Amino acid sequence: MASTVIGEGLTIEGEITGEEEFVIHGTVRGTLSTSGPVQVSQGGVVEADVSGSSLTIAGQVTGNATAQDRVDIQSGGRLLGDVKASRLTIADGASFKGSVDMDV
Amino acid sequence: MASAASVIGEGTTIRGNVRGRGSIEIRGHVEGDVEVDGDVALAEGAGVDGNVRGAQLVIAGQISGDLQGTEAVLLERGARVVGDLVAPRIGIAEGALVRGHVKTEGEAPAPRRAQVTVARRTPERASVERAAPAAAPPEPKAEPAAPKEAVADKSASAKRGAGPPAPVVPALGKARGKKKRAKRS
Repeated sequence: MASTVIGEGLTIEGEITGEEEFVIHGTVRGTLSTSGPVQVSQGGVVEADVSGSSLTIAGQVTGNATAQDRVDIQSGGRLLGDVKASRLTIADGASFKGSVDMDV
Repeated sequence: MASAASVIGEGTTIRGNVRGRGSIEIRGHVEGDVEVDGDVALAEGAGVDGNVRGAQLVIAGQISGDLQGTEAVLLERGARVVGDLVAPRIGIAEGALVRGHVKTEGEAPAPRRAQVTVARRTPERASVERAAPAAAPPEPKAEPAAPKEAVADKSASAKRGAGPPAPVVPALGKARGKKKRAKRS
């Protein structure tokens, strides 16, 4: 399957654009924009504004999160920034600081 | 795995630098430097505008920048590099294009298999193209065989002398020949 994997130990600084799935085990600083889903795994660090079709956070995200479909902050996940998505779930044990815009 | 292999997918473009531990396979585009302690594989159709550093670099795409490998730099068919190559081992395959300085320096470690390999979009076509030149040489060998047969034919007809041409079916011919001889005698 065509997808991008940022491995553990790898750091990308800059602007990332894509049309596919992103799985982040490493570190991303800058901006991340894709038309596919974005998954920030446990241990993954994103210091960037993120936009994708959906966003699953089990790691640490500092920046604004925009998703066409949904944002899921899983247990152990951490989001510092604003969320803009039509659906948002925050699991028990997740941390989140920011505002939510659900297109009401 | 402490340093899992990373993949930059085909539809992905990175404007910025990529650094860190582990190996990386690039199928998309990077406008910036790539620096890892593992291997780097650049697929056919992929590109990097920047310098690339790693242990073993296997390149089948385009690079505008310098390549430095602590182990090896291998350019495969279809690779286009505008920049310098520096590594203890350097391989440039037929069909790879390079414009820049090439320097083999440093102690070459024992060759090993790369942790990431270059993805080829059309493996079938590539294998056919490679097979074609290899299949060609046997032809000249086959040619000398034909004159031998001709020689054998000549000697056979010489033995038969000025007799009628050899019948198409030997078995029938023999039988006929015997009958004729029998009638004559």
